[in-house]
Amino acid sequence: MNETVTRLKLSFFLGLRSLRRGNIGSLVMTVVIIGMVFTNMIFLPSVITGAINLFVDQTIEYSSGNVLIEPKEDAEVIEDLEDLLARVNRAPGVLRAAPHNNIGGVMKFKGSRLAGSVIAVRPRDEALVTGVSKMIRDGQYLGEGDTGVIIIGNYVAGHKDKSEDLMPSLGGVRTGDSIDVEYTNGVTRTYRVKGIFETKSYMADQVAFITWEELESIKGQQVDQATEVLIKTVPGEDEEEVKLALIGMGIQEQIKTWHDLLGKAFAEVVQSYGVINSISTIVSIVIAIVVIFIVIMIKTLNNRRQIGILKAIGIHRTTITFSYVFQVIILAVMGIIFGLFILFALDRYFSIFPIVFPDGDIRPAFTLADIVTNAVLLFIASAIAGFIPAWQIAREEILTAMRG
Amino acid sequence: MIRVFGLEKIYHLGVVKVPALQGVSFEIHRGDFLGLMGPSGSGKSTMLHLLGLLDYPTAGTIEIDGIDVSDLDDDERTDYRLRKMGYIFQDYALVAELTVLENVMLTALAQGKTDAECRVASTNVLSIVGLSNRLDHLPKELSGGEQQRVAIARSMVNRPIILFADEPCANLDTANSRAVLDQFHTINEELGQTIVMVSHEEWHKEYFHRIIYLKDGQIEADERRQHHRKDDEDRS
Ligand SMILES: Nc1ncnc2c1ncn2[C@@H]1O[C@H](COP(=O)(O)OP(=O)(O)OP(=O)(O)O)[C@@H](O)[C@H]1O
Ligand SMILES: [Mg+2]
Repeated sequence: MNETVTRLKLSFFLGLRSLRRGNIGSLVMTVVIIGMVFTNMIFLPSVITGAINLFVDQTIEYSSGNVLIEPKEDAEVIEDLEDLLARVNRAPGVLRAAPHNNIGGVMKFKGSRLAGSVIAVRPRDEALVTGVSKMIRDGQYLGEGDTGVIIIGNYVAGHKDKSEDLMPSLGGVRTGDSIDVEYTNGVTRTYRVKGIFETKSYMADQVAFITWEELESIKGQQVDQATEVLIKTVPGEDEEEVKLALIGMGIQEQIKTWHDLLGKAFAEVVQSYGVINSISTIVSIVIAIVVIFIVIMIKTLNNRRQIGILKAIGIHRTTITFSYVFQVIILAVMGIIFGLFILFALDRYFSIFPIVFPDGDIRPAFTLADIVTNAVLLFIASAIAGFIPAWQIAREEILTAMRG
Repeated sequence: MIRVFGLEKIYHLGVVKVPALQGVSFEIHRGDFLGLMGPSGSGKSTMLHLLGLLDYPTAGTIEIDGIDVSDLDDDERTDYRLRKMGYIFQDYALVAELTVLENVMLTALAQGKTDAECRVASTNVLSIVGLSNRLDHLPKELSGGEQQRVAIARSMVNRPIILFADEPCANLDTANSRAVLDQFHTINEELGQTIVMVSHEEWHKEYFHRIIYLKDGQIEADERRQHHRKDDEDRS
């Protein structure tokens, strides 16, 4: 035990001095490479995490709210809406509930036809629950009680030249244009396009919104039904708790948190990204191992004679081996610290200039878990990569080594 | 103290066998200053390596203080070299990345002594070899003679029972050689340090108590010198 401590202390003593008085160029190069490898290990998962975060945020913000109420298993719609809304809005943790009534329709504009979702909303509630009202690209959001107007998603509006569209569209609708909507109950209405919204979420930008009053005029009666109710929870509130509270209030409809909704798709996405990630991590680790192995190999080969001398004067081979392992550990720590600086700089940079994707701006998300896991992996890989060549050369016969 | 019996060493160069030592027997006593001399290729270095536990004999035994060293395993041999033996090589063999003081401290540290103890012991031996003003220099900043004196200090710091030197003066001019040999003389006389030294310079003989002449791996002569170099009175 004491022996081991003495040996490790001496290893550290030798390793530190060898680094300090050794070749600065190779030290810097090794640290930079380890730093780059570390950055590479963290960067890809961070972009993927960023993409997942974006998807989750968009889903919550524009499509589902934090908690979504759907019709009972065997029902098409939610009945007794007013009663439900009154109860939900009183529930603890609920900021606001916004009902949606999705009446499918075919939209027509200058010969283009597009079957899609036309959703009736209550503009004020909607504005409290989703972010659509803040994403009006052109024109205005719906006013409470508006009739004869519609607001449409960016993909619905589309471009005049349809080849520029990512999705089927109406071919370049602009604010103020008139579009016809043919509803499933046979009613056709002509609307003035009041506004066009662009959330960048694929799902959200493919729908159109009308007011609840417009819906009632189409149906010719009061509508106390919804196809779904979106709920925004108080920030910081656990959605699962809110869901339990709602169930506790005796609500019979299906209640799903965004997590329930994304659950399956989410798990699949995370899994396939996980595979990409693992491959990238393995490649990075192999690069790190090879670089460190070569650096230490060269160093030990250059120091063969010196290693022979150390053994001759009675320095144990473990001490010698670990003097190199310590050097590698120090290099790895320095490299990881350097990598953290790069990551910090990248984080700053991408928070100002996010990566622009068609479905939104991705900000790489550096999670502590990724950083810690990869640092530990890199650390262990480095130590092993340093250990092997050092161990091999420290085993050599004294006189063979001393001849250099 | 050291008893060598029937020592043989055969090197294998492919299929060719090179007999470097062919059955050598002798004893070394505590306090001896023994010179190993003989023509090139006669087996002097081989002998020193075997005595210093740096290599294994093909046959024969080496007994140090009653212990047959062939009974020691690799770790024990390492420990033996560390605690009981000192080495001085022709090319100084200092650790390039360590300062003078650190080179000397190295083997003391390896024994598990505290940093302070090692520092004191090392500074002491370095002052004996006259290098107190060079403690923080790196080996490459010293002359050959100075480097060899560092090597002497390093070999001395653990108070080994025996000190091995293989042509320690081969790379030094006469003045520096004399300085090194005087150093050996001092530690041998004053500290009773046993020294085995390989040399083929005639004038070194005056320093030795006893000279073993090797030829073709065998002892040609074993000569005890009555009038080995005495004290400063002879020199003036
Ligand atoms: N590693 C080795 N492999 C093969 N033969 C060797 C080896 N080392 C020494 N020899 C041979 O063993 C014999 C004795 O060598 P040794 O080095 O002991 O001689 P020496 O007396 O020290 O000579 P020198 O005065 O030149 O240093 C020589 O013939 C030499 O060629
Ligand atoms: Mg020799």
